Amino acid sequence: MAENKMQVTVSPHLHAKDETISRAMRDVLIALVPAAVWALIVFGMNVVYIIAVSCITAALSEVIMRKILGRKITLGDYSAMVTAVLFAFLLPPTTPLWVVAIGAFIAVALCKEIFGGLGKNVFNPALLARFLLWISPLGLYTAKFVKPFFWRESNFFTPVATSISEGAAGRVVYKTLAGNPIADVVSAATPLSLLKSGKMLPEIIAGPTPVGSTWVTSSGRPSLGSLFLGLKSGCIGEVSVLLLLIGGLYLIYRGTVDWRIPVGIIGSFFLLTLITWYHPVYNLFSGGLFLGAFFMATDWVTSPVTRRGKWLYAVGIGATIFILRFWYFRPEGVMIAILIWNPLAILIDRYVAVPKFGEVKAPVFNKLPALPEPVPKAAEKKT
Amino acid sequence: MAVKSEYATFKGGIHPPYNKELASSKSIRTAPVPAEVLIPLSQHIGAPNEALVKAGDRVELGQKIGASEAFVSAPVHSSVAGTVKEIAEITGFTGAKVKAVVITPDESQPDFEKKPGKDLESLSDEEVRSIAKEAGLVGMGGAAFPTHVKLTPPKDKPVDMVIINGCECEPFLTCDHRLMLERPSDLVAGLKLLMTAVKAKKGIIGIEANKMDAVDTVRAALGKEADISVEVLEVKYPEGAEKMLISALTGRKVPPGKLPSEVGCLVQNVGTAIALYEAAAWGKPLYERVLTVSGPGIKEPGNLLARIGTPISALVEACGGIKGEAAKLIMGGPMTGWAQPDSSAPIVKGTSGILLFTPDLIDTAEEHECVRCGKCLDVCPMFLLPNFIAQSAKRELWDKAEMYGALDCFECGCCSFTCPAYIPHVSYVRKAKAEIAALKKR
Repeated sequence: MAENKMQVTVSPHLHAKDETISRAMRDVLIALVPAAVWALIVFGMNVVYIIAVSCITAALSEVIMRKILGRKITLGDYSAMVTAVLFAFLLPPTTPLWVVAIGAFIAVALCKEIFGGLGKNVFNPALLARFLLWISPLGLYTAKFVKPFFWRESNFFTPVATSISEGAAGRVVYKTLAGNPIADVVSAATPLSLLKSGKMLPEIIAGPTPVGSTWVTSSGRPSLGSLFLGLKSGCIGEVSVLLLLIGGLYLIYRGTVDWRIPVGIIGSFFLLTLITWYHPVYNLFSGGLFLGAFFMATDWVTSPVTRRGKWLYAVGIGATIFILRFWYFRPEGVMIAILIWNPLAILIDRYVAVPKFGEVKAPVFNKLPALPEPVPKAAEKKT
Repeated sequence: MAVKSEYATFKGGIHPPYNKELASSKSIRTAPVPAEVLIPLSQHIGAPNEALVKAGDRVELGQKIGASEAFVSAPVHSSVAGTVKEIAEITGFTGAKVKAVVITPDESQPDFEKKPGKDLESLSDEEVRSIAKEAGLVGMGGAAFPTHVKLTPPKDKPVDMVIINGCECEPFLTCDHRLMLERPSDLVAGLKLLMTAVKAKKGIIGIEANKMDAVDTVRAALGKEADISVEVLEVKYPEGAEKMLISALTGRKVPPGKLPSEVGCLVQNVGTAIALYEAAAWGKPLYERVLTVSGPGIKEPGNLLARIGTPISALVEACGGIKGEAAKLIMGGPMTGWAQPDSSAPIVKGTSGILLFTPDLIDTAEEHECVRCGKCLDVCPMFLLPNFIAQSAKRELWDKAEMYGALDCFECGCCSFTCPAYIPHVSYVRKAKAEIAALKKR
């Protein structure tokens, strides 16, 4: 018997065929394709340029950081790609490519690798990078939005350049790369900023009343139908609720995402807007709620592992989004809410108890058992 | 997504590839007598045995060669007639050094002489227990806990139900399946003896739905037994784990850290029940057992009746030898068995199979940092937190490891099977258990 070649490992000796990190990450990328394709149609080739720059920067950042930190290169697990695409999804379609590159570098190098790599990051890297960009001076470039099909007025393939005009403080002017300002593409308000800026008209709550071909209500706000299908201004990835839902359901079907988190977030948020009658349906289909609930909050590393914990985390995020939108009118509510709850996930896992099989009186909170002192620390063992 | 089964089952668990067709249709055949048997002196959980023979002694087939005064122990018997060559330190199947009696068998081996049959109906509970003890019976599903101890439940916890574990939920293994097909009436007789021993009114034989032929055969063998029933269970791993099986069949849940007697149940494996029948009816001690030799690396997979102490290599030879490139040799099932560095270790009473894997079956990868996907929690039949046990053990935080359930883990391996980060949870759990036990002794 060729005995010297026998592999000796601890049981079990079988492994589920398709349970790997790279398969899960691939699933997420596949689930994002419909929304990305729709973004391409609505916002033109800019979307492709932004995603590409984000991916390339993310990959380079991971390789460089891992080389510096002396870790194995793990591009094969696609986790940098997922971060890159999700980060791109959080940007307005007119973000200058150099800002995209800086953001993608922040996401992978600072928000993931510095923490210790995939599995050790406390915050969702894409969200944290977006947040850091938002509060930085570069935030100006990522704060303005354009209306759907703006490219009709320039060219589908022409990249959009953004510049800050002198004189008018904070004013953003969109130009083609050749330098010609794009006519009539003044920053378009997103559905949530419209909600923030004034009272809602009854027709918005009532449902879609398409005007002409643009599915905009007579008040100038998008109808519910256009919100759901994705004819609105906003970040690249958040425009079509329908396509995000399809991607999310695919992830649930594949077992990559636990249904409790999106159901908990969307459900609790909807319930709260319903109770307060704060434009429940309009709010539901606006902003990054679906993108956040299905793709950001469900990030394995930064969400709790226990089922009880997942419910708590999801309802917590839903309630936080509601607070941020209802009292503070923050369109960035989803991002901030998830970032608040990311570090709490660790505490939830530590303290929310899971009843063991056959446990009659199950505790609510985990308690450390009293092992005889001293509990040996790693340092003690060395001496 | 898992399809809901019509059969009873438990929460959690996995569906590994079963690969049972390799050996399930092969009738049990007797393995040849090896050139040498190495019989480990202690093959059970409990107090170690002392050798009753010395080098040069002549031993008969079935002669007691090792025993202990302690209650939690099971004697061992010679599996051949021959001469004791030595009492040696050998490397057992777990990799640890164990004391073993090395016996050179005679050229011609006698058949076992069945002792005059006792009237099984008239045996008392005490008599059944002492028969089990004298025959050296242990749990033959792999745990190897002395049977007579299990048959002595605490006085304040009456047992009303005896369950025979015919699930054989481990992939590849088919020996219990074959025993149920070929010796159903002995199995039923063994179950009745177990019921006598604990004065239980009811007996259940639980069989997974991938062995419907065994269900039919055993049901036919029941005849008019009104107190015994055969129940079909969903095909899922680890359906045959004691607590899972009780929960699936009766709905009773054994609390953490407690034994099945807590809920009035006793679980025994098919092989153990038949061995008890043999011991009571024929006076035959446990010196041989049926096991499965299988895997893509075995030329002619099959189910062998082999003598305890036969080295693995002899059994692989008896099955036609190796086919293709051998990459991993496992003693036991693929989910809980022990990988062997070579084929020298002898089989013991708890050995249910010998498996030889080819490289295509091996799926190992470097351990990645836990990505907190929570899949191990979903599959853990004990509802523990395997990822945090592993993490705590890695950082030597033993109190945390205990908090997350290290002591309640029975090492089924579902967590590692399903882990995308390829974390060897079982290895961490074993370490944590040992460290926690050491701390508690202080």
